[in-house]
Amino acid sequence: MAYNYKTELGRYRRYYQALEPILKTTSSRMYTSVIFSFLAVSLFGWYAIRPTIQTILYLKREITDNTLINKQMEDKISALIETQAYYQQIEPLLPDVDQALPPNPDAIPVVIQLRNLASISGVLLTSLQPASTPLLGQNPSKNNNAPVSSIVSSKQQSYDLSVSIQGSFKNIRSYLSGIINMRRVTTITGMTLSPVVGEQSGSPSATLSDNILQLTLQLKTYYLVD
Amino acid sequence: MENDQDLLLISIFTFFTITLWVTFELLKTVKTTTVATTTQQIVVPLNPKIDIDTVNTIANKQVY
Repeated sequence: MAYNYKTELGRYRRYYQALEPILKTTSSRMYTSVIFSFLAVSLFGWYAIRPTIQTILYLKREITDNTLINKQMEDKISALIETQAYYQQIEPLLPDVDQALPPNPDAIPVVIQLRNLASISGVLLTSLQPASTPLLGQNPSKNNNAPVSSIVSSKQQSYDLSVSIQGSFKNIRSYLSGIINMRRVTTITGMTLSPVVGEQSGSPSATLSDNILQLTLQLKTYYLVD
Repeated sequence: MENDQDLLLISIFTFFTITLWVTFELLKTVKTTTVATTTQQIVVPLNPKIDIDTVNTIANKQVY
């Protein structure tokens, strides 16, 4: 059906004219004005007032945050300058700290030190067995088969060592003191002290060797992972 | 008359909804920080104290 603008115009005019009697009543006019007021306030509230106030509050917050950040940055710069002074003070000692807590497992130096300590203390080193350790300081938590015993912290790793020595009480005590005084951080996690049975062990006439004791130590040594 | 009251109620609810929405949006703006995460990481406080006594103790220990 073709569009006839004359008839359509007449139709819409009739609609508008039909609204006139409705708006003539007071209550309808009041309702209409109130309803449109609410809608207008809502509309302008959302599209005009909200973005404006939001921008104001955002800028205020930004000023507060930047002031705080500026202060924190200044504090940090002061702390870094202070730290640099401390660092220069301890810089000559840093290789010693690296020896105490090396950046990789470094099992061989520990073994050598324990062997040398045994010689110095005058005890007989009968067995020294490190648990299989990673050659480099990779994170053992990534490898389930890694034998490293425990993860002390996210960066600090450790592995176990088992040491058996024989000697007199005095020498064993000297050996233990040596371990405590060793620069490489090593802790004693277990210790078994027993008398050494003589050559005829197993026979009914087996005797205890005079003053000779056997000490089995479980040690744990540490290193850092970057 | 009935229609007018319904429309009034709808407009009032719309007004309150928009008011609440705007309020919460503004509260969110006030509460949300404008500092980037990287900046927050940079300004983490640093304790400048280095335990020199411990370092000296380590240095005084022996290497066999």
